[in-house]
Amino acid sequence: MNGVRLQSVDKYFGVVQVIDGVSMEVPQGEFAVFVGPSGCGKSTLLRMIAGLEDTSGGTIEIEGRDVTATEPAKRGVAMVFQSYALYPHLSVFENMAFSLRLARAPKASVIEQVNEAARILKLEEHLDKKPSQLSGGQRQRVAIGRAIVRQPKVFLFDEPLSNLDAELRVQMRLELTRLHRQIGATMIYVTHDQVEAMTLADKIFVLRDGVVQQAGAPLELYDDPVNQFVAGFIGSPAMNFLDATIARRTEGGIVATITGTEGQTLEVRVDGRDPVEGQAVSLGIRPEHLKIGEGGISVTVEMTENLGGVAYLHTRLPDGREVVVERRGERESRTRETISVTANPEDVLVFSNEGQRIR
Amino acid sequence: MITNRRKHIAIAMTLIAPFVFIFGLVFLYPTIRVIELSFTDAPLIGSGEWIGLDNYKKLLSDNLFYTSLKNNGYFVLLTVVPTTVIALVIALAVNRLSGRMQALMLAAFFLPYILPVSVVTQIWAWMLDFQFGILQPAIAFFVGERVPVFRHPVWVMPTVATVTIWWTNGFNVLLFIAGLRNIPTELYEAASLDGANRWQLFWKVTWPLLWPVTALVLTLQLILQLKLFDQVYLLSGGGPFNSSYVLLMMVYREAFQLNNGGYASAVALVLFVIIMVVSVLQFQLLRIGGRK
Repeated sequence: MNGVRLQSVDKYFGVVQVIDGVSMEVPQGEFAVFVGPSGCGKSTLLRMIAGLEDTSGGTIEIEGRDVTATEPAKRGVAMVFQSYALYPHLSVFENMAFSLRLARAPKASVIEQVNEAARILKLEEHLDKKPSQLSGGQRQRVAIGRAIVRQPKVFLFDEPLSNLDAELRVQMRLELTRLHRQIGATMIYVTHDQVEAMTLADKIFVLRDGVVQQAGAPLELYDDPVNQFVAGFIGSPAMNFLDATIARRTEGGIVATITGTEGQTLEVRVDGRDPVEGQAVSLGIRPEHLKIGEGGISVTVEMTENLGGVAYLHTRLPDGREVVVERRGERESRTRETISVTANPEDVLVFSNEGQRIR
Repeated sequence: MITNRRKHIAIAMTLIAPFVFIFGLVFLYPTIRVIELSFTDAPLIGSGEWIGLDNYKKLLSDNLFYTSLKNNGYFVLLTVVPTTVIALVIALAVNRLSGRMQALMLAAFFLPYILPVSVVTQIWAWMLDFQFGILQPAIAFFVGERVPVFRHPVWVMPTVATVTIWWTNGFNVLLFIAGLRNIPTELYEAASLDGANRWQLFWKVTWPLLWPVTALVLTLQLILQLKLFDQVYLLSGGGPFNSSYVLLMMVYREAFQLNNGGYASAVALVLFVIIMVVSVLQFQLLRIGGRK
């Protein structure tokens, strides 16, 4: 069954269109992540699902019910805000009990439900405190607790971890994953951080300028991006893009001359008829797919980032464009060395000048 | 950071010295002199005999003192809470507008506040003039006849209160607007997701979060309205039959018309103590109320 289903949803602010015909399905119980650069419309889309923004066109369904015109409280959704949005004048207990009190739930069940949420989130000892007495991570948990207490069909998270420090973010990521497994409700999570997207999601929706670029499982997006934008956005450090011209077609592929080098070439596997000889393309290669070996492209190492288990060589082509090479288990610095790098033909992705993938 | 403690203190002293000097010269010294004066029978200018607590004893048997005190209390009742409620309602309404419309409405409500009191009282004296006032037909419509509001013992205080609220309300609106803008939008969004209707949004979010501003407005108003003088002096002169006579008018009359400097000082001091006690008490009560 569908948890959330959007059909050709549009959103205009005045004459500016921020969401352009978005259709998507999030199956019940899945953890979906909307990811994209700031201003891509991901938060607006989430707020439209919550009912905090009205919809200019299209329909939104939650568990089979059309909620496009339903007010927020009756959609069966709960939202966790980036700023937590805790009521500063109420205790942790009252913050979590707020919706139950509004619904005039019996006292005993209020206490029971809040205590249950507090137990799941390990907040029992903080129930009498005010939000201002809590740390950032605890506040975030209270905000999540407030959502849990409502027992929603869909949890919506709007960049919930961006106000936390790096260590806490990793910890909260694990807690969210555990929580999702424990509760089993549909969750939609908005972030600009692709690491969060990769680690949390069952399914990622990459947005840009109000359009879904690609939807799929994290590794699907990583291995098989449909365009240059998705390829560049998913993965850290980002994919290398090399401008190239097709020198000739071969059996099952092409040979491309890399722009900015002295005619050095790479062999690439391509199944279709495109690209044709002489066409200008962009080649995408992930840092971990670049190997040091003879007969490749000459690059000069400018800086080595050694993280212990893995090292990143920041290198430059003769014309100055950057290429990042990942090395595992390499300790000595290669700074200022000129090296030759190459890649397996099947690890190189080809993009047209318009940024579309050519397979 | 390493700081030279003595130098630090010296700089602090230098910075506050001008204020301390002026405060001492124009506030502390006169206050002490007034306290001194209230125990003498001195005229306004020149010294007098020490008469101990006689001025205060006289005050306790002065009927005009009790009348004034009662009128001050009545005026506080007529203005403090009403002006706060009206300002809050206007602020809530103005806050819903946006952009230029909001600025325009805010300016409109603030405009009376920048008028001098003599202009304000002149405007209302004209509007409520018994013969030509444009508001008299309205009064006649509701009560059946024209009313000389400033010469009528029942009408005079409510009318002065109305004029005062009209005059000073803009400032309170401004304070409330500032308070409302400080409440994050997300709280309203979170509450509406939690199922709150408009009424609940106000009582569960706006009202408690605005309480510090409300307490401030109430206290400032209390202090301001206890110091009532200009409006009654210009509109009714304290009459008719002392029905709008207030403590500051008594101070003014005793000091500047009857030349009783000592007695006027005693009345002024009593008013000073009343304002201090009542406002501190009220602010503390409001703070406790807000913490619950």
